[in-house]
Amino acid sequence: MLLRRLAGPLVSGTTYRCWVYLGLGGVLTVPFIFVAAVLTGIIAYYIGWNSVTVSLAPLTFIVPPLAIGLIPALRVVHRAAVRALLGAPLPEQPDDTDYSYPWSARWRAAGWLLLHLFVGGLSGILLMVMLPAIIILLIAPFLPERVTLDYEVIVLVMDGGWDDTAYPLLGLALIAGFLYLGAGLRVLLGRAASALLGPSPAERLAVLERQAGQLVERNRLAQELHDSVGHALTVTTLQAGAAARVLDTDPEFVRRALQAIEETGRAALDDLDHVLGLLRDGASGTAPQATLADLETLLAKTRATGVPLTVEIDEGVDRIPAVVSREAYRIVQEGLTNALRHAGRVPITLRLAIQANRLKLEITNPITEAAHRNHHRNGGRGLRGMRERVAVLRGEMSAGVDGDQWRVAVALPLRRVS
Amino acid sequence: MSIGVLLVDDETLIRVGLRAIVDAEPDMRVVGEAVDGAEVLPLVTQLRPDVVLMDVRMPTVDGITATQHLLNRLTEPPKILVVTTFENDDYVYGALRAGASGFLLKRARPAEIVHAIRVVACGDSLLYPVAIRNLVALHGAPNNDRASHALQHAQLTEREMEVLRLMARGMSNAEIAKELYVSLQTVKTHVGNLLNKLQVRDRTQAVILAYESGFVSPR
Repeated sequence: MLLRRLAGPLVSGTTYRCWVYLGLGGVLTVPFIFVAAVLTGIIAYYIGWNSVTVSLAPLTFIVPPLAIGLIPALRVVHRAAVRALLGAPLPEQPDDTDYSYPWSARWRAAGWLLLHLFVGGLSGILLMVMLPAIIILLIAPFLPERVTLDYEVIVLVMDGGWDDTAYPLLGLALIAGFLYLGAGLRVLLGRAASALLGPSPAERLAVLERQAGQLVERNRLAQELHDSVGHALTVTTLQAGAAARVLDTDPEFVRRALQAIEETGRAALDDLDHVLGLLRDGASGTAPQATLADLETLLAKTRATGVPLTVEIDEGVDRIPAVVSREAYRIVQEGLTNALRHAGRVPITLRLAIQANRLKLEITNPITEAAHRNHHRNGGRGLRGMRERVAVLRGEMSAGVDGDQWRVAVALPLRRVS
Repeated sequence: MSIGVLLVDDETLIRVGLRAIVDAEPDMRVVGEAVDGAEVLPLVTQLRPDVVLMDVRMPTVDGITATQHLLNRLTEPPKILVVTTFENDDYVYGALRAGASGFLLKRARPAEIVHAIRVVACGDSLLYPVAIRNLVALHGAPNNDRASHALQHAQLTEREMEVLRLMARGMSNAEIAKELYVSLQTVKTHVGNLLNKLQVRDRTQAVILAYESGFVSPR
């Protein structure tokens, strides 16, 4: 047990990856040392070598990496490298491609770069100093002539031959020492990483909010699934019961009932295919959920506000699974509301099409001054609800400027992705 | 005399199925259909059905609201039988409190469906007493002030209270007559008197009041 714990860091891949990370830090130090040397030289040129020049020298090494470390994108690089090479479990954050970090997070990331350079530089120097000695110690018995290792405090004299068999052991011990150092630094750096690169409270909150939003969305979907499947089973049960009742007197009714049972069952299975494994929670309203079949009413209401609306709807959109239809209706509803809220009464174009087993939905409107202002103020928050719906259905969504238009495009799979 | 039934449901397949079941019976027939709660009042005024089979969840006017409209606007409203997809639907109890005489699951067997229509139309026994007791236990507020007040104010006689207790247990008038060793006519008189005193329109409402006032425990 103890042996395994002692040997663990020596054979673990994480230790070696940590040395790679330290090595990267060491290599990165080199250009900054150059910069520091040049800056110090310039300062010395102007004010000569005195106590001020000497006390400014550390600053010439610290300030440039801090300044560069503030670049937001570098934080993403740090996080990726720390995850891969240090194996540190950094908590999730909302979006690694969204660079709008608060300044506090950027300062912490800059601090991390500095720490990486310091620790990497120092361990690199240590390794470079010790590596020749380790090699010589390992091959001590085979040395052709006398070698003296003089480290001031310790002097080793090797003549080669069997008298020096202890030296390779010392070399191995030094290697082990380096590996333990790597393992120790890995733990320490891992802790520092979660403090310096971990999500800020605001980011944690955003993650929680997103998760809560998705949970609500899932629960609502599950509730609707329960309703729609329960409803379908009710229809089939009632039709079957009625058909059995009039089997001898009304064969025509029986034929229609069987057809209805078949179709209802199939539609319910489609719906089931889409949403599974979710639990019922809470109660929904008394009105059935709207689907794309109710789109006309929504469009009429939108037109009534004075918005010129161009609508292109492909054939077959009315035959997609109920769950997709419901969500698509809501996405259209949110999209139209957003357009109205942000751009005002500008012409809106809505396109619904079925392509390659996906429902493609697109809403475009010209960008206005007001929209620009509003978008900046709200940070595109109106899109969050849409994103959540799309995510739950495993679809894709993009929203952004396309020429002089604001364009929201959504693709929802019509078959369950397995 | 045949029982006239009005079907109210937004789903065509449900209406078609119910119609087939009802029309197959010799003593009842469907007199009309409505697809939304908003159509119910004019249709009832025009067609004078004895029983309305009322869906709860409908697009514009739901079953609870439609029930309230019927009971508030008509002097002799038809009996209302709520039809529902789910037993534990919160709205079913709402509909019963609004004055519906009973409720029925859409998945019920055809024989049960026609039995429920007959029971509600005739009114001399309670439909699914156990289910109603469960609904009160789940949704009703026991020792409800309004209900207790109505019960105290009614000043029921000992006999009437006994009849109310037996009604809550789901006994029909005939069964109560047997239990109390009195004639059926006497029971009918007691029931009529206690409905009057409690100011409720049928025995379902009387039983709900009995539960909610704490006079009979639903548990």
